[in-house]
Amino acid sequence: MKHAITYVAGLVPAFLLAAGLAGAAEMTAGEKQLYDAAKKEGSVTWYVSQTTTEFADGMCGLFKKKYAGVECNVVRASGQVIFQRLVQELQAKAVQGDLMSTNDDGQMLQLKEQGALAQFAPENLKDMVPELRALADKENYWITSGVSPLVIAYNTKLVTEAEAPKNWTDLADPKWKGQVAIGHPSFSGSVGLWTVLMNDLYGWDFFKNIEKNKPQIGRSVADGHNLVASGERKVALAPLPLILSDAILKKVPIGVVYPTDGALLPPSATAILKDAPHPNAARLFENFLLGPEIAEYFAKDYRYPLRAGVPLADGMRPLSSYKTKSIATADGIKKLPEVQEKFRDTFGI
Amino acid sequence: MTSVSHSAATTWSEDQPVKMRVPWHQRLQPANLLWLFLAGILVVLIVAPMWTLVVSSFTDAKTGGWTLHNYVEAYGKERHITALTNTLKMGAVVVVLKLAFGVPLAWACTRTDMPGRNFVRYSVFGAFIMPPYLAGVGWILLAGPNTGWINRVWHSLSGSTEPLVNIFSFGGLVLVTAIGGFFLVFVLVSSAFEMINSEMEDAANILGAGPFKTAMKVTFPLVMPAIIGSALLSFLGAIALYGVPALISIPARYPVVVIQLTEFFSFPLRIQVAAAYSIPLLLITAAMLGLQKLILRRKGYVSVSGKGGERRIVKLGRWRWVLFGYCFVVVALSVLMPLFVLLLAAFSDSWTTGFSFSNLTLSNFHYVLFEHSSSQKALVGSIGLGIVAATVAITLALFIAYIVQRKLIPFSGLLAFLAVSPYVVPGIVLAIGFYAAYALPPIALYGTYTIMALAFITRFLPIAFTTSSAGVRSIHPEMEEAVRILGGGRVTALRHVVGPLLKRTLAGGWLLIFVPAAQELSTAIFLVGPTTRVVSVVLLDLSEEGELEKLAALGSLLLIIIVAVVALGMRYLGRDFMLRRS
Repeated sequence: MKHAITYVAGLVPAFLLAAGLAGAAEMTAGEKQLYDAAKKEGSVTWYVSQTTTEFADGMCGLFKKKYAGVECNVVRASGQVIFQRLVQELQAKAVQGDLMSTNDDGQMLQLKEQGALAQFAPENLKDMVPELRALADKENYWITSGVSPLVIAYNTKLVTEAEAPKNWTDLADPKWKGQVAIGHPSFSGSVGLWTVLMNDLYGWDFFKNIEKNKPQIGRSVADGHNLVASGERKVALAPLPLILSDAILKKVPIGVVYPTDGALLPPSATAILKDAPHPNAARLFENFLLGPEIAEYFAKDYRYPLRAGVPLADGMRPLSSYKTKSIATADGIKKLPEVQEKFRDTFGI
Repeated sequence: MTSVSHSAATTWSEDQPVKMRVPWHQRLQPANLLWLFLAGILVVLIVAPMWTLVVSSFTDAKTGGWTLHNYVEAYGKERHITALTNTLKMGAVVVVLKLAFGVPLAWACTRTDMPGRNFVRYSVFGAFIMPPYLAGVGWILLAGPNTGWINRVWHSLSGSTEPLVNIFSFGGLVLVTAIGGFFLVFVLVSSAFEMINSEMEDAANILGAGPFKTAMKVTFPLVMPAIIGSALLSFLGAIALYGVPALISIPARYPVVVIQLTEFFSFPLRIQVAAAYSIPLLLITAAMLGLQKLILRRKGYVSVSGKGGERRIVKLGRWRWVLFGYCFVVVALSVLMPLFVLLLAAFSDSWTTGFSFSNLTLSNFHYVLFEHSSSQKALVGSIGLGIVAATVAITLALFIAYIVQRKLIPFSGLLAFLAVSPYVVPGIVLAIGFYAAYALPPIALYGTYTIMALAFITRFLPIAFTTSSAGVRSIHPEMEEAVRILGGGRVTALRHVVGPLLKRTLAGGWLLIFVPAAQELSTAIFLVGPTTRVVSVVLLDLSEEGELEKLAALGSLLLIIIVAVVALGMRYLGRDFMLRRS
């Protein structure tokens, strides 16, 4: 009996070893090398404004599952707030984040020009949807880590599909007085780009007209979505994946309008910081963001998967089926400070 | 022999104190060393950050040279000036409201036969434990213009689609700010009421004044110093609060200084401009302190000091229920209503659906306890920082208070002044000072718990000092002298006599610091790093994502922990802590 136990006990490490080898076998040589180095670093700190905390925590969870032994810390805030924190850290020469994901790729360009980013081309780039890959930095200082079109959300309990706005200028219709919600371009990165786009399309009068409807100004773009979901406001500027996942998975009474004058398509960008305290874990994580696990996770949550060949979730329209508009990175940077200032003047906050 | 003693006597009388050459090593007595040590700590905690703040407001960010440009940038815009005047306006109205809440309640609970006095006391104490931003979230759930519960009840009753109340307004901002701080008025004014000798009121009665006239002509003028003092603190608290404006003034479109300061802290980072912009807050508070001194100097208030004689309570007759009604409205607005909706939201799937069993869930608690990336750590961080700040501040304050009260060393008054000076520094300004002084290299404390602990200790040092100082004053030096006669040193006296005697006072002060420190947001907002987030900051982030149910759950957890600590303290201190002093 005793003999048997010893025998079995002796087998356990062998099994574990075999399982470990099997896991490792799926990894490419480069990935394995990064993983080993990352294990020595122990953890990765991810600054993220691209997604909600809940979603980012989920991504970190998948990472930890795949790469046991490497902790993953999410630090989530709205776009400008995360960026401000990073700028503070750069000034303090005490960078604590390893990599950053944002919806405002203009921030990446500014960081690149400051020499704050590291150049890295993850292996998984080769499997990306070519159009999405093309949105990233040509010199591989950042990758495209997602696309969340900004569209119009409406509360389906309070507004019928026929009544719902059709394009952005409809938000200024007097029937939405006291019922519109938008974000603040000085707090949210994607709202910043949206403000630039609206100003490009319609001039500043667009905002003067919206102001007549007394919109509720939130800080992040998720704020407006939640206001519509709860019925506090009827229509809002909101990111598409949030609307679809809440509407379909959580049965929240919220619907999408793809504005006929074009949804804003801000490419989300992820970059590794040059002074990252855990450089290898950061590279492993960035590569992981483009891997199959995340592509599946994205698709399940009504986001556009980054890998070619991963099917869209039911109820999602292909990007090519509706009109989208983007702001060139350099353009965004140039115009943002001015519209932020104008926004503060028009809305008084 | 006689001549020698005679000449010695003349020398003594001629130049006193004796001018002796003391070798430097003899000057390094323990007491002097202690003084130097404490002074050093206070320099680190108070003088250096404030000095850095003032200096950097005159420093050119690029060249490091002297400039006035930061002030031009800070005040060169109409919007920035508006935020400043808005803040003053808001502060003034909040003070009026806090007094209207705090003073009648204090009078009712200490000097009348109103029913339910203990209920009111406990509720006001609840207002002390509930952080302002949680009350703010509670009120957003109650009075959001379209889905707030009050408005939905109103809509269904009246058929109207217009909101009855809108929290996102100047009125809403003022209300939420006021309910988050009137307990201070209550505590200060209550203790003043309890010091009054009833003989003076009796005199007024004998001379023919009714209860109302007596209250107006005798009682209230006597507690005036407490009212003015608490008004000043209320104003300072109101203008420096960060959480409530972040939640309410942005949607209300009512820009205030703290929101403007965050703009200077965004990209491009302009600490120097932020410093320049926060100087007026300092000047205003200094001016108000001067004003308070001026008002109080002109009158004598000797009758309030001391233990007071017999106190009689005022018989209100049927007015007692009217007064109770008013008190109930105040505690309902400040504690009962926001707390109720907050708890309900914490247990709800969706707060807009209202109460139903199918809507009940524990998932919000599960989420914030086990799934959310930083809330678990933030709870530990908040409580830990609260404990550290309270313990260090009380210990430090005890030493300073002892030295000051016993006049052990020259210039001890300076220590006292330094210890209470953070009173006049708004939390957010303090944070900017600490950031400018210690976050950046060469000290580089950015993103550490140390910088936050230091800032919290500084912020709450005045409370600690006031408590310890009052305690030390109440102990007669005889007992320490006995220790010294028996050969014990000062430190032994402090450890074995003063400390044990002051246990209750110190523990009370400890709780008075722990509670606000565990919830502190204004100081934390610019000092937190990615791995040192505290609950208040996580709550603010959740509010920005619109996750109000999860926010309510995390907020409730914080409240439960704080209440547990306070309950432990109350067991130790007896029920009288904060509720009644006598």
